[in-house]
Amino acid sequence: MVEGHVTISNLEKVYESGAERTKAIDDLSLEVPSGEFLSVVGPSGCGKSTLLYLVAGFLEASSGTMAVDDQSINGPGTDRGVVFQDYALFPWRTVMGNVTYGLEQNGVAKEERRSRAQRFIDMMDLDGFEDKYPKELSGGMKQRVALARTLAYDPKILLMDEPFGALDQPLRELLQDHLLDIWRDLEKTVMFITHDVEEAVYLSERVMIMTRHPGTKKASVEIDVDRSQDREDIIMSDEYTDMKNQVWQSLREETQPEKQL
Amino acid sequence: MSYANLRLADVEETVPESIQRPVRFLLEWIPLFIVIGFWEFASGVFVPSVVLPPPSEVASVTWELLVSGDVLPHLQISLFRVGVGLALSISIGVLLGVGMARSDPVEDFFEVFLALIYPIPKAALVPLAILWLGVGTETAVLIVFLACLLPIVLNSYNSARDVDQNLIWSAQMMGMPSWKIPLKVVIPATIPSILTGIRQAIPIAFIALVSAELIASNEGVGFEILRYSEVGAYTHMFAVLVIISAAAFFAVRGYEWLEQKVVRWT
Repeated sequence: MVEGHVTISNLEKVYESGAERTKAIDDLSLEVPSGEFLSVVGPSGCGKSTLLYLVAGFLEASSGTMAVDDQSINGPGTDRGVVFQDYALFPWRTVMGNVTYGLEQNGVAKEERRSRAQRFIDMMDLDGFEDKYPKELSGGMKQRVALARTLAYDPKILLMDEPFGALDQPLRELLQDHLLDIWRDLEKTVMFITHDVEEAVYLSERVMIMTRHPGTKKASVEIDVDRSQDREDIIMSDEYTDMKNQVWQSLREETQPEKQL
Repeated sequence: MSYANLRLADVEETVPESIQRPVRFLLEWIPLFIVIGFWEFASGVFVPSVVLPPPSEVASVTWELLVSGDVLPHLQISLFRVGVGLALSISIGVLLGVGMARSDPVEDFFEVFLALIYPIPKAALVPLAILWLGVGTETAVLIVFLACLLPIVLNSYNSARDVDQNLIWSAQMMGMPSWKIPLKVVIPATIPSILTGIRQAIPIAFIALVSAELIASNEGVGFEILRYSEVGAYTHMFAVLVIISAAAFFAVRGYEWLEQKVVRWT
C-alpha cells in the first residue's frame, strides 16, 4: 500500500472579506504517510477544519503547496473522502441512494454499485434500512450512512471533521471502534479533526496539536500502544495515560495562553 | 377531563386516537355551521331574501347547477386556466428563483422587475392584458401566472440561497462536475420550499382567476358570477361562489394529500 500519502508545505490560508484579512492558517507543513491515522486537535477557531477543507480541495490555499502522492491538490477529487459532522446526507435519497451516489457519479453500472454499496451498508450494520430516508434515521445511523457513503467510492484518504461530535458517549465509543476496524481492514490514510483529546489519543497513531489563532503545527505526539488489546486495557495503561497527558498539556497551553507568562 | 377548552391545535394530545378525526372535523367546521344557521334565520327576516338568499336555497341551486351540468363547462375552463397559469409560474418561477439565488448577474437583472411587479394588484393588469391578448383564456392565464410567480420565486430563492454548503461539497467530492450542481443538488435540496411556495400559490391562483374572468372573459366561473348578478339571479350567483370556493378548497387539500404521498423524504 503506497497510496494516500499527503504532503503539505508552507500552507497559508487568509480569509478576506472586504478590507478585513484574517489569517486562519500560517506556514503549516505536514506529512501524512499512507495508511497513517492522524488526529488534529487544537483550540476552537485554530483553523483545524479549514486545514481539512483545504486538503479536501473545497477551499483554495493562499500560498503553499498540498499534494496527494505527488499529485498537487486542485479542487475536490475522489481520492479523498470527507465525513462531515452534520452528516450532509442527501435528504431526497434513501440510504442505498446515498451510499451508491459516488459510484453513480463515476459511471459504475447499477447492479455493480448496488452490490458494492451493500457491502458497506452491511459493514455499518445498516442492513434492513436500505430504503429509509435520512429523516427516518437517528444521528448515529446517519453518521454510519455518511461513513458508508464515503467508503463506498473507495477514496485513499478519509478526511473526518469531528464526525462523532454530535453523538452521545456510548454511541461515540461504538463508532470509534468501528472506525478503527475499518481503518485496519481497508488500509486508508485518515486525517481526523476533533477537539476531544481522549478521542484523538485513542484513535490515532499520531496526534498533531495546533496553535491558537492563526493555526499552525505546534507539536506532534506519537501514540504507540498495542492496539490488539481491548479498549479498557488500552486506556488503563500507564503509557496511554502519559501520552494523553502530553497532548492535554500541550493543548492546554494554547487554550489558556495567559498561564504561559 | 373537560372538553370546554378543547382547541383544534390540542386534539392530538387531548382526545383518544380513535375519535380524533371526527372531533377534528367538528371543531374545524362548527363555526361555519353556526354562521350558516344565523344566515338561514336572518334571510327573509332581517335582510330581504333577494339580496341574501338563505343557505338552504343556495344549496339546492348549487345542486341543480351541478346535476344539470350547466356550470360544468365553465368550471372546466376555469380549472384549465388555473392549471396552465400555475404550471407556467412553477416552471418559470423555480428557474428564476434558483437562478437568482445562485448567480449574481441573474439576480441583478431580474430583481428590479420582480420588485416592480410585486406591489401591483394583479387585477389592475387585466385591461392591459386584454389589450395584448384579447378577452379569453390567454388573459386569465397571464394574470394567474403573474399572481403566482412571486410566492414561488421567493420560496425557491430563499431556500436555494441557504442550501447547505456541505451537500454541495459532498456531491463534488464524489465526482460531480460543477455545472451539474444546480440541477442535481440545489434544486432537489430546494424542493421542500418549492412545494410550500406552490401550496401558497394555489389559493392566489383562484383569486387571480376570478378577478380576471370577471372582466375579461365570456366563459368561466368568474364570468358566470358576473352574469348571474347582472340578471339579478343572486341565488345562482351565490351558488357559483360556493362551487368555486369548494374547488379552491379541494385543490389545496388535494395538493397537500398528494404532497405527503409523493414526496416521502421531506
